[in-house]
Amino acid sequence: MTITEKTMIEFRDVHKYYGDYHALRGINGTIRAGEFFSLLGPSGCGKTTLLRTIAGFEDISSGVIMIDGKDMADVAPNARPTNMVFQSYAIFPHMSVAENVGFGLRRDPRSKADKARAVEEALDMVGLRGFGARAAHALSGGQRQRVALARALILKPKVLLLDEPLSALDKKMREHMQVELIKLQRQVGITFILVTHDQEEALVMSDRVAVMFEGEIAQLADPETLYRRPNSKQVADFIGTMNFIPVTVLSEAGDTVEIEAKGLGRVSLDASLAPPVRGESPVVGMRPETLTLLYDDQKAAERETEGVIDEVIYFGDMTYYDVYLGGTDVEVRLSMRNVPGRPVLEVGTKVRVAWSPSALVLFR
Amino acid sequence: MASSQGKEARTGWLLISPPAIYALLLLAAPLATVLIYSVLTGGRGEIGLPFTLSNFAELFQKPIYQSVMLRSLYVSLAVTFVTVVLAYPIAYFVSFHVSPSKKALWLFLITIPFWTSYVIRVALWRTILGYEGIVDSALINIGVINEPLNILSNGMLSMIITLSHAYAPFAVLPIFVSLEKVDRSLLEAGQDLGESRLMTFIRVTLPLTMPGVIAAVLIVFIPTVGDYVTPELIGGGKVPLIANLIESQMLKIRDQAQGSAIAVAAMFVVGMVSLVFVLLNRRFLGGQK
Amino acid sequence: MKKAPFLGGYAILYLLFLYGPIIILPLFAFNDGRIVAFPLNGFTTRWFTEMFADAQLKKALLNSLTIALSSATLATVLGVFAARATVRYRWPGKPAALGLIMVPLVLPEMIVAMALLVVLLSIGIPLSIFTIILGHVLICMPFAVAILTSAFQSLDRSLEEASLDLGETQWSTFRLIVLPLVMPGILSSFLITFTISIDEFIISNFLGSGQPILSVYIFGQFRFPAKVPSMLALGTLLVLFSICMLAIAEYFRRRGIAKTGGKDTGGFL
Repeated sequence: MTITEKTMIEFRDVHKYYGDYHALRGINGTIRAGEFFSLLGPSGCGKTTLLRTIAGFEDISSGVIMIDGKDMADVAPNARPTNMVFQSYAIFPHMSVAENVGFGLRRDPRSKADKARAVEEALDMVGLRGFGARAAHALSGGQRQRVALARALILKPKVLLLDEPLSALDKKMREHMQVELIKLQRQVGITFILVTHDQEEALVMSDRVAVMFEGEIAQLADPETLYRRPNSKQVADFIGTMNFIPVTVLSEAGDTVEIEAKGLGRVSLDASLAPPVRGESPVVGMRPETLTLLYDDQKAAERETEGVIDEVIYFGDMTYYDVYLGGTDVEVRLSMRNVPGRPVLEVGTKVRVAWSPSALVLFR
Repeated sequence: MASSQGKEARTGWLLISPPAIYALLLLAAPLATVLIYSVLTGGRGEIGLPFTLSNFAELFQKPIYQSVMLRSLYVSLAVTFVTVVLAYPIAYFVSFHVSPSKKALWLFLITIPFWTSYVIRVALWRTILGYEGIVDSALINIGVINEPLNILSNGMLSMIITLSHAYAPFAVLPIFVSLEKVDRSLLEAGQDLGESRLMTFIRVTLPLTMPGVIAAVLIVFIPTVGDYVTPELIGGGKVPLIANLIESQMLKIRDQAQGSAIAVAAMFVVGMVSLVFVLLNRRFLGGQK
Repeated sequence: MKKAPFLGGYAILYLLFLYGPIIILPLFAFNDGRIVAFPLNGFTTRWFTEMFADAQLKKALLNSLTIALSSATLATVLGVFAARATVRYRWPGKPAALGLIMVPLVLPEMIVAMALLVVLLSIGIPLSIFTIILGHVLICMPFAVAILTSAFQSLDRSLEEASLDLGETQWSTFRLIVLPLVMPGILSSFLITFTISIDEFIISNFLGSGQPILSVYIFGQFRFPAKVPSMLALGTLLVLFSICMLAIAEYFRRRGIAKTGGKDTGGFL
């Protein structure tokens, strides 16, 4: 199954209070059937709360949550078409792997043999064939997570909820499981909703991401839009690195905005691509990789600006340069791939920087 | 929001109500009754109005009450002192000088005696300390003494020995727990800053474990004040403590009003002494922060 | 570990002090002499024979077992309610309710016993084994609550949510997940309150109506020097019994910790 336009989950003005604390402040939006959706934000932004309201572990104070066209207001967690992979995995420690995976089949009318086959299939799917008889408490972190996945998927839910499932794993294991989860989602074809505070993880894994700050969804978009066209400084700053350069708006005519950016000079931007006006002092944002150092007689495709290197940060495959632009105190970070024949430059070197007006995002 | 919190509170109350109602009916209500009885007029097996404070006045007028109260306080404070002083080094030893894998075994060894019949343990001291008992006969046999010591004839001393033995493990545990919580690097820091091991102990370890010491004090002091078996078996009923006094007022003289007044006074004394120690504890805790 | 010869020596002496009286139990229980004093007179088992022939003792033991079984069961069941309520739910009045339940820990037992006695007499409930059980449950409950609270605390809340999520109800979740995982704590609570009840003297003495109760019976027998050796024999058996109970309780407590994947944080309350 591929992503369709069919709506799986819909939030309509969802609010949640804990006493005086306003945890969810009017959540709206839809999650489509079959998509890999992430809730991304710093801790305390309400992403886990929102996930738990989908599962039914938290009541909402007002608003509506619809799953597959049905209002979930009075539906208990055990009656919802969702299953969850918990942050701690919540593997039942007194049961074997097979008993854990088959836990949800207790009320299933199928025969014992059929259920055992279903358990074996589920284990197979997460790469744990033959682990059924193991004691749950003897598993490694990665294995526990696979058991948690198999246990949730065996009930064939319409939506799988994943609460920071990779945060307990080490870096290598985490990257490995990211790929596995993507494959698994394609294989089973159901909606996955992932909660994470790791922007890279969200970008890598998701079809669409909702970035949340302080109980609100700041932007809901696909990863590329989120990265290249963030709709606010806050989102831009949270996702990856972005250079912010103060600008003055000179004129605005139709879809074209003329600005004067400190160190870059005059630029015309397409206003239809700019995020909504918020009344902040205007800045343009540019990602480090949209800036390039020009070597020798290289020519810029669009615009170029002179600069002086202030700091060199060597990363092995990459080098980050902090560069003062055009004799001003405006400093930008840019990243260059280290390829053979291209030396790492030193602090104080005068350089030419190539950039493109279409890569600029205007926040105002 | 209100609904889910209300639901949670309702479930909580529903669950707590069986034990809470039990304690309310069989503990709070009886204690309240004793409180009321203490200001009623009592006689032989009777009790009734009017309200009076004469029961309490009597506690101050009759020297027997005061001497028993003071004796009880003296005995239990002495027992508390002895147990805590004896317990601290053993707790320190287990916490600092026993390897982690063997700590549980040591605690087990220390607590086992506590779980063996209290009456038998107390009674054993009678046969140990008594006239020509185990101590006497053993010492005479190896020729240390010629005449029996008959320690038992010294009722107070015998009671203090017996109770100190009976409550020893109680004192070790809280001190041990507080010692375990002491951050070992603090001690190294103390020595690193030029203090000797003894001074490090006095300036760092001891103040940090004071809450454990106070807990040990309370845990020994409270039950020993109300001990009944030891004065009966060891003191032979000749050196009564508060519990024996309450018993004789309630059941032998059958003056429930006077008995209740003694019980209330005893609770008051226990409460006051405990409060002093709790306040001391606060001071130590406050000093740490 | 650092060497500490002085402390080590002290520790040995301290254990000798703790165990001295208990070592005397078997020593004189098998000693062929009615007078409990040195020198020892040779080996005999007649005190055990005498003890087993004692009909009153059997009655006392039976009564005590009845009391201890009922008290431990009731206290543990009530403890489960209290522990579950305090660990899992937030509700106003928690400190007060819990404080009341734990009061017997900080009140001289004599006062608890007399207060109960006064009320029972005033409302005309006749004293019996039942009234002893009422009192024992009261003093056992704080211990049960303490043990069970720590058992419930080591339970990961998301285990219950996972079970609900997988289609189970609140009640079946309690039965399938919570109960099996706290079972070691329940057993340990039962064994410890059972031991407390068997040992308890004051309430057994004052809230009973003269039926023989083990601790009260032992107390009485020690007044007769001739009965002391057979009481020592009984004591020997009781010590063995207590050690077994404790070892079993500790075993279950540790297994519970291992099961829920927690770390051992001491034990013994």
